[in-house]
Amino acid sequence: MRNLSSLKQEFLKRWIKGLRKYNSQKKDMNLLERKKAIKLSADLAMASTKDKTTLWRKAFIANTSTNIDEQDISTSPSQKQKKIAKKNLTNSCRLYRKTIIGSRKISRRNRVKERVDASFIATKLVKKRTRTLKSLLPGGKFMDDACLVDETLDYIQSLKAQVEVMRCLVTASELFINPPIIDFII
Amino acid sequence: MLHCLNTSGNLAGGEETTISDMTVLQRQKARINFQQFSSSQQFMMVACDSALGEVVANSIKPDPSFGKDTVKKRKAEINNNNSNNSKVDVIVPECDKRIKVSADEEESKTSDQISKGHKNTKANNGTKNNRENSGDTNSKEKLDYIHVRARRGQATDSHSLAERVRREKISERMKYLQDLVPGCNKIAGKAGMLDEIINYVQSLQRQVEFLSMKLAAVNPRLDFNIDELFTKEVFPQNFPTIGMQSDMTNPTYLQFNSSQQLVSSCGGLINNMGIIPPEIGLRRNINIPAASSLPEIFDSSCFTHILPSSSWEGDFQNLHSMDFDQGRSMCFPSQPFTGMVEASNLKMEM
Repeated sequence: MRNLSSLKQEFLKRWIKGLRKYNSQKKDMNLLERKKAIKLSADLAMASTKDKTTLWRKAFIANTSTNIDEQDISTSPSQKQKKIAKKNLTNSCRLYRKTIIGSRKISRRNRVKERVDASFIATKLVKKRTRTLKSLLPGGKFMDDACLVDETLDYIQSLKAQVEVMRCLVTASELFINPPIIDFII
Repeated sequence: MLHCLNTSGNLAGGEETTISDMTVLQRQKARINFQQFSSSQQFMMVACDSALGEVVANSIKPDPSFGKDTVKKRKAEINNNNSNNSKVDVIVPECDKRIKVSADEEESKTSDQISKGHKNTKANNGTKNNRENSGDTNSKEKLDYIHVRARRGQATDSHSLAERVRREKISERMKYLQDLVPGCNKIAGKAGMLDEIINYVQSLQRQVEFLSMKLAAVNPRLDFNIDELFTKEVFPQNFPTIGMQSDMTNPTYLQFNSSQQLVSSCGGLINNMGIIPPEIGLRRNINIPAASSLPEIFDSSCFTHILPSSSWEGDFQNLHSMDFDQGRSMCFPSQPFTGMVEASNLKMEM
């Protein structure tokens, strides 16, 4: 694992480079556009500072490249449709599962059923959480469990570094724009 | 290897029939483990000696072409010798146990393989192929983790072994995650831990969002004077005395490596002046980025002003720095809370 400060430094360099690129592309932006550009460049910079072996980095870069290629407006309806279709699918699956489980439950004794229920609920909870975690991580859909935990570790670390650097920059720019009063002499 | 084993057998045995018997054992051993070093021969021989009586009683047919056979031929012979087979299989694990005392990982591996082979001979023909396949995969896995062994009552087939290893790996990583994610130490269950991790990742992502928003709001232009900040940061390295002020106005940059030298040089300078120990500078670095309250900025500003314009009066500076330090340490605990409030505000805005 690399040194955290060197990581931050690398991140800042890349970030600024990306920002400059954006700045040269487009001059006048409103607030949201600026924010988007800043965030995207920061994320990209963070991803590019990482080793090439990490999965989420690859996934993130791939995602952003596809997003830049396609327009947001054109993709959003199709995505919605897909989501709806997925929901329908999952609902039907759930129903199916429920029926199966119900039939199983009937065949077993009470005590056994309770125990099985508890463990089943626990595994279900864990599975649910893993799914949400997968949705949070870039490229999490394609990871197995062990890989997921690993990547989460990596991701959290890089996010932490990113947040720290950004916070530093925010305070620095605030100080720069509203310079503190320095005429005060004791 | 084989010849070496045979010669040792020759030295030990002497009689023709016993030698042949021993070579049967030795060759099977050699078939299983080609890399075994010669020091294990002694164990082998001891084992063979103990096993000799049994084998002789079984009256294996004496080997006519002793010492010239290839390993394959020998193997075939052993396999054909059905009446002997079970006996040999029983004996070989024994000598392996003895070898295991010498504590080599390779040998434990071979013992596993031997036991597997033992199962093979006893299993039906239908399951034999399966077993062999699983053995192959197992040997592949063993390249990664040899030390995995089933405890009493645990399943030993390759799938459950692999599954166990996977689970151990995950739990280990989860421990690391526990250390990394704040507030995750007290939670025992996996679901709760995952919950906490999810929350943390989400909060970090939101923070990134919020900070980028803030940056966009603060800076009307996109490059937000980074160049100037950088020039202010980089140039003073040559002129530390001038750089002091500008650097202190952007104290956040002190955290980066590029300015480490600057910090150290400043510290050195300060030390030479005998004014402030360098820890104070470091503490400033930690504190100021989070500082948002007015008096602190005020403090730092007057402090920065004093440093470059100092008339080298050590005592006075010392006093001031002490005051400054105390005030800072007083202020410090409240800062995380202000940060939290900001974050919550952000959430509200979002």
